[in-house]
Amino acid sequence: MNTKRILHSTEFYIAIIAALFCMIVQIKSGQFFTGNNIVDLLRSFTIPAMFCLGEMMILISGNTDVSFPAIASVSMYVVCTVFDGVFTNPLMFFLMAMLIGLALGAINGIIIAYFKFPALIVTLGTSSLCFGIMQGVFNSKEEPLGEVLYRVGEMKLFSVTNPQSGLTSDMPVLVLAMAALFVLGWFILNKTMLGRGIYAIGGDAIAAERAGFNVFATQMFIYCFSGCMAGMIGVMRATMMLAVHPNNLEGMEMTVIAACVLGGVRITGGKGTVIGAILGMVLMTVISNSLILLGISTQWQKVFTGIIIIIGTAVSAIQTKKNEKKLAVKMAAA
Amino acid sequence: MKKRLLSMVLVFAMVASLTVGCGSSGKTKSTSAEGEKTEAAAKKDGDAASGENKEGENWKIAVVVKDLSNGWFARMETGITKFAKDTGLNAYMKGPSATDAAQQVQVIQDVISQDIDALCVVPVDPAACEPVLKEARDKGIVVITHEGSTVENCDYDLEAFNNAGYGGFIMDKLAEAMGEEGVYTTMVAHLTNASQNEWADGAVACQKEKYSKLTLLEGLKRVESENNSEKAYEVAKEVLKKYSDVKGFVGTSSMDTPGIARAINELGLKDKVFVVGTGMPNECRQLIKNGSLSYITLWDPAEAGYAMCVMARMVLEGQKIEEGTNLGLDSYKSLVVDPSNPKVLMGAGWISINKDNVDEYDF
Repeated sequence: MNTKRILHSTEFYIAIIAALFCMIVQIKSGQFFTGNNIVDLLRSFTIPAMFCLGEMMILISGNTDVSFPAIASVSMYVVCTVFDGVFTNPLMFFLMAMLIGLALGAINGIIIAYFKFPALIVTLGTSSLCFGIMQGVFNSKEEPLGEVLYRVGEMKLFSVTNPQSGLTSDMPVLVLAMAALFVLGWFILNKTMLGRGIYAIGGDAIAAERAGFNVFATQMFIYCFSGCMAGMIGVMRATMMLAVHPNNLEGMEMTVIAACVLGGVRITGGKGTVIGAILGMVLMTVISNSLILLGISTQWQKVFTGIIIIIGTAVSAIQTKKNEKKLAVKMAAA
Repeated sequence: MKKRLLSMVLVFAMVASLTVGCGSSGKTKSTSAEGEKTEAAAKKDGDAASGENKEGENWKIAVVVKDLSNGWFARMETGITKFAKDTGLNAYMKGPSATDAAQQVQVIQDVISQDIDALCVVPVDPAACEPVLKEARDKGIVVITHEGSTVENCDYDLEAFNNAGYGGFIMDKLAEAMGEEGVYTTMVAHLTNASQNEWADGAVACQKEKYSKLTLLEGLKRVESENNSEKAYEVAKEVLKKYSDVKGFVGTSSMDTPGIARAINELGLKDKVFVVGTGMPNECRQLIKNGSLSYITLWDPAEAGYAMCVMARMVLEGQKIEEGTNLGLDSYKSLVVDPSNPKVLMGAGWISINKDNVDEYDF
């Protein structure tokens, strides 16, 4: 029964596609399964994967959020410039950014959950607002990173050196935060009533309300959670880059939404798993970091990326359709 | 319920459009009033200026930049102050407190009512400046622009350099860092970006002409950073994994250079792989000092500011600006006329910064 369920899940097929792609890169370049390449990939994976968690919760609840890169950027920018030199403990920077992110997320939440406006449009607005405030009020421009966070950015868990090429890659400490966040997200979605409420709302908000879920509170929670995490991720990005770049995250929302959907999170809500979203992001990261290893010229890289995304989505869509048909047949038989 | 909501939204939208409408009409009124005032002032000024012209030179030159809060323009102001000191003329800099096209137009409006003889502008949005620059020229004010080669209502536009020449300059520095041999590749923000690709093409052309032992990477001649220094870092790492013979990078966007340098530093390839390209001193300082970034190249805003003022003065004094004109600065001693637009003049205003002189620049 259990193996059957795995065989029929979208996650399984995305994992196979990702594995196949990795094998092709390995055969073509001989560089894929090397310690330093894996570390590079993990590092590149960290930031977008963390965004996936907040986004998938919102997708599961039946909405789409495109404001998280803006929330992350503005929280990061304010913390790294206004509070530069104020704190000596790096954790305080993260905490402040999380508070700013939380406040911005709460604004999203109130507009969406209370006034019931469409989330995509609302977050498009708040996104523009955040970037605008950053430009208008804070005069945003590229800045060097403050000393306290610079030191955090230089910290590494370990280094891996490739014995053949002599290339060294460092594993940033912040991957630990990513792992912790995944566990937290998995726990909320699967082991708490709140998490089940998110799925219920995405399935049918009215039915969920009648079943006793507090729709307003649940929606408020996911936007606040997403905003708060975005604030933290923004500062993490700055520390990893060792520089404060106000527009660096712009456009990441599309990659993140694509990864979630690839991983089987249903864009109309009610369905999706943490492991699926992670796998979707694994595929996206591997593609964007392996095309040069495959020897594909810059002119053709976008075409290639597009083809793989479409194949991935098709596989997951076909899988969903199959399952639905089976369910319909079963119900008809019963 | 839905209807009520809809009506609320509509009412809100109407109120909003009403207030916005009022606001903007009020503004235009005030600017037109100001326009009249300045016109009157200019007439007076025109007479005065012609009078002064006979006596000698006591020009008043205003420079309006994009953004006063930006270190780039703080540096430009030092050049303008130096010009004022060197010549004894009244030259000063003004600008909006934020990079904002509308605010800049307002500032230009203000300075043309201050009896100026010449106006130098670094436009935020060249198209948005046209009407106010036309107004200035109608009053007989000499208009010089910088980084605004598309502006029509100007006497001349001064550019720091021509694109191919700048690319060649990057290549000279890279060749020096690489010891004039090895394989290199080029990075741009996007393959569709005109000026950056011209810089990269210029660099490659210069290498073909001057450095026979340097070769462009055959498998991957140009890579994209998407104007994102994290992407530049990832791409540089991937290139170095795939092509172990690569020894140099030409970076064109100011995001490319620090990203590539960070990759070189982390991979342990310092002093083996080199990067030279456009970069900002503050952002790259640490990387330059730790040796992972050989040179950053850019144009010095102080020199550009100084050169603009010299140019304005020459026009005021009736001197001709043409191919080969010398503005009295090393980097602007022989101007080149843009073949596609005779109003655009280009200098050779590039500079390179390495660990010896990075601390002289603060922007």
